[in-house]
Amino acid sequence: MNSSSATLALAAHLAVLSSISFGGFPTVLPDVHDFAVAKGWVSDHEFANFFAVSQVMPGPNMILMMSFLGLKVAGIPGAIASALATFGPPCAMYYLSYRLWDRFRNMPWQRIVRRGLAPLTIGLVIAGGYVMARSAAVGWQSVAITAAAVVLMLGTRLNPLWILIAGGVLGGLGLL
Amino acid sequence: MLEARKSSSSGDRVPLSALFIGFLRVSLSGFGGGLVWARRVVVEQRRWMDEQEFAETLTLCQLMPGPNIVGITVCVGAKLRGALGAISAVAGFILVPWTVGLTIGGIVLRSAEIAVLQSVLSGLSASAAGLLIGTGLRLLMPHRSRRTALLFAGLAFAGMAFTRLPLPIVLLALAPVSIAVAGLESARAQ
Repeated sequence: MNSSSATLALAAHLAVLSSISFGGFPTVLPDVHDFAVAKGWVSDHEFANFFAVSQVMPGPNMILMMSFLGLKVAGIPGAIASALATFGPPCAMYYLSYRLWDRFRNMPWQRIVRRGLAPLTIGLVIAGGYVMARSAAVGWQSVAITAAAVVLMLGTRLNPLWILIAGGVLGGLGLL
Repeated sequence: MLEARKSSSSGDRVPLSALFIGFLRVSLSGFGGGLVWARRVVVEQRRWMDEQEFAETLTLCQLMPGPNIVGITVCVGAKLRGALGAISAVAGFILVPWTVGLTIGGIVLRSAEIAVLQSVLSGLSASAAGLLIGTGLRLLMPHRSRRTALLFAGLAFAGMAFTRLPLPIVLLALAPVSIAVAGLESARAQ
């Protein structure tokens, strides 16, 4: 596959996913992972690296992560195409729905739709974390770090950034 | 903050550059909890929206696909200056952090064969994955007494984590049923 058709395939795939990313972009991570690995574009390990680097940057992490994938597939044009495909469709939908908001703000069905979608998006977020943990795992030590991060996230009000950094430091000390 | 006193009430037009800079700040402050900062800038500092309007906008954004924080950005920009405002706000949110992030990240990823760096990245991705799982579990807490919600969360999790099904298939299969059940439950509750 040459780089422009690869760019097109990636951007088209991301555009479809971003259009259905209810609950945010982490919900589509498992799908992107399977797609990119099946195409032979990235290894499990590289995909985990994209995730790691994007999470320690401020700003739009998931757009950045998809751009790292685009960068790997087709250089700078691939990175730009991936970014546009990731935020373009949702932005267009947000804009249109904001314009139409007055027409359906008080309709009872929107509460029901939200109630119905919420558990699905939550399950998908957890699946996103699970798939990333699987990609990142290089042994029981990394599984232990993931488990510790879950516990700290649930049990404390610690700033998530510190939990991230602690994971990076433990890795850097050669514990993985 | 005195600088904010006029912008929302009077007919003064908020400059596009103010939207760009306002959301650049939100973006750069948004380690982890972007929504906290969006509220702080939009409601408290600039007074582009009041609490009520911000909450309603968030509700709308939660109904739509995509990152909620980008949705807030689009809606605030659209409210103040229409389509151009939305574009300026989104550009402020994305352009600078994206360019910087792609440059630094590109260099880091290209050097990933360095053993120490790879070890750091492995540790980071393991803990980042844990944070994502933890976030999901926290979101699940308010639903824990609703058995059907737990069931559908479990099905969505299993559908993506253990099968190789594409997301559109999983959503198409589960969303109509889950919404229908939510509808039945609310009808029964009335």
